[in-house]
Parts: sequence; structure tokens; C-alpha cells
Amino acid sequence: MTIAGFITKNALRNRRRALLSVGSVAVSLFLLVTLMTLVRELTIPPEDIGASLRLVVRNKVSLAQPLPWKQITQLDKIPGVMAVTPFTFFGGNYKDLKVTSFAQFAVDPVRFTNVFVENRSSKEQIEAWIKNKAGCLVGADTMRRYDMKIGDTLKLTGTFYPCDLELKIEGTYKGSVDDRTVFFHHKYLDELSGDLGTVGTWWVRVASAEVVPEVRKQINQTFENTSASVSAETERSFQMSFVSMWGNIKVLIESISSVVVFTLMLVTVSTMSMAIRERFRELAILKAIGFRRREIFAFILAESFGLAALGGVIGIGGAALFWGLLDVQKLSNGFLVYFEVVPRTMARAAVVAAVLGVVSAIGPSLSVAQTSVVEGLKTLD
Amino acid sequence: MAIEPIVEVRELSKVYLQGETNVVALNRVSVGIQAGEFVVLMGPSGSGKSTLLHLIAGIDRPTSGQVLVRGINVANLNESALAEWRNRNVGFVFQSFNLIPVLTAAENVELPLLLTSLSSRQRREHVAAALDLVGLTERAKHLPRQLSGGQEQRVAIARALVTDPLLVVADEPTGNLDSKSATDVLTILQSLSREANKTVIMVTHDPKAAAFGSRQLHLEKGEIVA
Ligand SMILES: Nc1ncnc2c1ncn2[C@@H]1O[C@H](COP(=O)(O)OP(=O)(O)OP(=O)(O)O)[C@@H](O)[C@H]1O
Ligand SMILES: [Mg+2]
Repeated sequence: MTIAGFITKNALRNRRRALLSVGSVAVSLFLLVTLMTLVRELTIPPEDIGASLRLVVRNKVSLAQPLPWKQITQLDKIPGVMAVTPFTFFGGNYKDLKVTSFAQFAVDPVRFTNVFVENRSSKEQIEAWIKNKAGCLVGADTMRRYDMKIGDTLKLTGTFYPCDLELKIEGTYKGSVDDRTVFFHHKYLDELSGDLGTVGTWWVRVASAEVVPEVRKQINQTFENTSASVSAETERSFQMSFVSMWGNIKVLIESISSVVVFTLMLVTVSTMSMAIRERFRELAILKAIGFRRREIFAFILAESFGLAALGGVIGIGGAALFWGLLDVQKLSNGFLVYFEVVPRTMARAAVVAAVLGVVSAIGPSLSVAQTSVVEGLKTLD
Repeated sequence: MAIEPIVEVRELSKVYLQGETNVVALNRVSVGIQAGEFVVLMGPSGSGKSTLLHLIAGIDRPTSGQVLVRGINVANLNESALAEWRNRNVGFVFQSFNLIPVLTAAENVELPLLLTSLSSRQRREHVAAALDLVGLTERAKHLPRQLSGGQEQRVAIARALVTDPLLVVADEPTGNLDSKSATDVLTILQSLSREANKTVIMVTHDPKAAAFGSRQLHLEKGEIVA
């Protein structure tokens, strides 16, 4: 017999209780990992090389108010502005879907490729798209999800635009912050909608990060006191303004997570102290035989840590596997994109498991240490 | 000429504070025990038999007085040194057998050896020898619940012996046994003192059990009266 064997036998002496403790740790940590992943998903800042160099220009009144086409000539002239493209949300529905999982934007293809310089598409496809006024560029995720191929026709039903689109897929891209979006010619939208002479927003690429604040100020000043004054912000802060809507939900989820962890603590601590209390007499015998306090503490710690660790591995590993295998994007109707259980999340959950294992060993160890051999022998089985 | 005693109890007292009053469990007891003696402690309930046994075995601390075992004042050892001292020098047998239920007979016997530097092969040899001594070689792989009470107590004796201790202390070891099993256990304890020259100290209420000892000490109200 080895010490490890002895500890294992002790941990498993009450199979059902061992199973329950491992199970409760596993389920709780699965839940915790899921909640943490959800928080991460909702607050993930858009990471893109060019994102800090891009400005989004919208109507100062609200995002829903359009901007006049003619602003583009003035924007082009502002020093530090490298490229400007119209960027208008179409919001059409694909096939008979009620909620379409991808957005569609009308852009100027040539200007667009100058604003989004991180080439995520092939040159040939971009060129084909630029040539075809009814052509579009579709993100790889959307292509895959709806089984689309280059050359296919993509029909979109207008929701607030009084027109439907019939686009030909000329190219695809991959590796952006969100590989779902469809881009098409603004001219095409103008023709179909009867040339309103407006755009939704302007997206601007700035020469360098140092001049971003200056360019922003310039843009805002240029259109001040016009019929359409604007607000320019960086792409990142623009996207974070959507994310901040989730702020309250984040707080909610985080409080649920704390409750989960706290309940788990209570359950494990009481299970462990129950398991030890039952063995008070045996532990007194071990002491009489010559085992010292620190050895007994090591036994208890190893047992409780072992159970918590096993539960942790099952719960955390299970969560990573489960969410990795599941097509969350599809199941959530595109609401959740990645839902990736990242190592950082797993590490944090593992720390919770480890703390759990240690904390639940402390109480029983203290009471064992405080009980003398003679007192321990007197406790009844 | 008196032989140097292996256990020397000097003016040993144990007083419990119970609320306002002091309960004197042991009152200035002095006694010497030689190697190979089989000492039986007798006396009415509450007379201090268990208390004396616990103090000699180093699982309790006296209020005053000394217990010298081979010249070492047990009460002076700190907690961890005392634990080590017990592991080397004392074998315990209790009324309720106190085996670990998830371990087999052999594993229970092996337990005290885990604290020694013996190799696993040496440990197995020691365990086999101890089990053989109590006649339970065949039951080595049995769990305590698969053994009879008498067999369990013999496993407990094997566990007490396996470290080859100076002292074997037993608190009413036959209290829970039928007379046949009790005789087996007492015979083993007796042969330990006679043949292996171990010092055995046993508490019992049963005069028939006491007859197996080489010397009887009677306690009353915390004092040795005979
Ligand atoms: N923890 C304690 N607190 C207070 N008094 C105690 C404690 N332990 C023992 N005593 C008292 O000390 C006295 C001696 O107890 P001890 O257990 O040594 O008696 P005993 O001779 O072994 O009796 P029994 O034959 O019933 O086992 C008793 O009066 C008992 O009440
Ligand atoms: Mg007693």
C-alpha cells in the first residue's frame, strides 16, 4: 500500500458522496465557464489591425439619420484622410428568414478597398466585384453557413428600403472581426431606391494613429452648423457603443457567477467536513499510531483537492469540448459568433476549483488538529 | 537488587477542570514496570485506569508528575516528537477494534509502517510476520467487515506489533468479544510478554482476563490501592 493509495481509498470510501461532490463541482464549473465565456463574447472588443486607424462618421442626431452624399468631397479634402467610403446599412432579409444573421452594407467598392486595406480577399475576386455593379462580397462564415458559392445569386428582401436586392456573389473574405457581413455597390442601392442622395455613415481611413484625434476634430468642425452635423469616432469606440448596451447583462451574469461559486463553496465545504467528521475516530487512531498533524492535514487536503480537481477537469474540459463542438452561431441564430472557451477562462475556473479544494480542507483539518487523541477516541462511530 | 524499570511513573496526576470543581482522575500515582511484564489495571469505573494508560502511552498529557519510558520523559516531548515516539515505541489495542474499514487486514497492519523508512518489500515481510503471529495469514486480503470481532481484534494486535514496539497498551481489548475470542486475544498478549519480552499493559474489568497477566494493579479514585 502507498500513501496515495490510502488517500484514494479514503476519498472513494463513500462512492455516492464522492460522485456527488465531483459532480457538483463539475456541473458548477461547467456553468461558470459558460457564463464567463458569455461575458467575454458580449464585451469582446473588436480586434483589427486597421480598427484604430478608422473613423466612423455618423449623423450627430442619431445613427438612424442619413448623411448627404455631397459631404464626401469635403471629407476627401481634410488633411490626414487617406480614404473615405459610404457605408450604408441595408438590413434586408435573406430568403424567408425573419431575423437574418448577417448585416449587409452598401459601399463604394473602390473606396471600400482603400479604407479596409487589410486584404482579406483575393485580388481577382475584388476586381470582379468592382466590375459588376450588382455584385457583392460575402463573408466566409455566411458563405459556409448557407452553403453559398461564388457565382450564386443572393436575394435580399428590403425591410425599410422599398426595394429588394438581387446580388451575384463575386468574392468572399475571411479573417476580419466579423466574417458574416455582405458588401455591395452603393450605386446599385441608389438606383433601386430612386437615388435618395444620402448614405448611412462614412468610414474613413486616417494616415496614422497620431493624427486620429486631429482628423476627428476636423471632421466634426467641417460639418458643424450644417443641416447634417456629424460625429466622428474611432471604429473601436463605435463598436463598443453597441457592446455597452450589454453592460447591465454583464453585471447580471457576473452576479449569477458569484452565486454559483459561493453555493459551490458551501456545498463542497460541508460535504468535506461531513466526510471527515465521520472519520474522527479513525483519524484519532492514525494520530495514536504516530501520524502527525501535518500528515493528517496532507491527507485531508489531498483528498479534497483531488475531488475538486477531478470535478474541475470534467467541468472545465467538458465545457471547452461542448462549446467547441457545438455550432453556437447557428443555434443562437447568429447572436453569438465565437463563443470560444479561451485558455484564460479555463485557467480562471481552474483557480476556482483549486481554491475550493484547499478551502474545504481547512475546516476539517482544523477540527482534527484541535481534537486530542483521547477526545477523538471517545467520539462514536 | 531491583532491575531498572522500563516504565517509571512518578507522582503522576491528572486533574480535569469541570465547571467550578476539579475532577481528579489520577492522584500522584507512582509505579514501576519491568520489561516483559504483563500488567493488568483493574478497578471500578471512573477510577482512572484509562487515564493512566493514556498517559503512559503518550496520547494524553499529565497535569503534574512524570512518565519515564526508558529514561525519556514522555511529557516533555513536543507534539510531533511525541507522535514519532509513539510510532516507534507503542502499540495500541482498543476495545472497539478501530480498524480502517476501507483497508484490508494487511493494509491496516501496514499503516504504522508507512511512517518508517522501510521499503515496500520490507513492509510486506513485517506485515506477513505480524499476521502470522496472530494466526491470520489466510485473512490478509479481507476487509474488516469480512472478519469476525475476534479476528478484527487480532488484526489490531498485529497492527500494534508490526513496528516491534517496546510497549503494547490495551484498553479493555476483550470487552466486545465472546469468551473464545477473548481467550485467543489474551493468549496472544500473554505470549508477547512471555516469549517476545514485550511490556504489555492492559485495562480490564474481567477477573478471568486479569488472570492472564503477570501482575495486577488496582486503582480506586485515582490511586493505586493494591
Ligand atoms: N475529558 C474529561 N473531562 C472531565 N473528566 C474526565 C475526562 N476524562 C475522564 N474524566 C474523569 O476522570 C475519571 C477517570 O476516568 P477514566 O476514563 O480514566 O476511568 P476508567 O477507570 O477508565 O473508567 P472505565 O472503567 O469506565 O473506563 C472519571 O471520573 C472521569 O469522569
Ligand atoms: Mg476506561
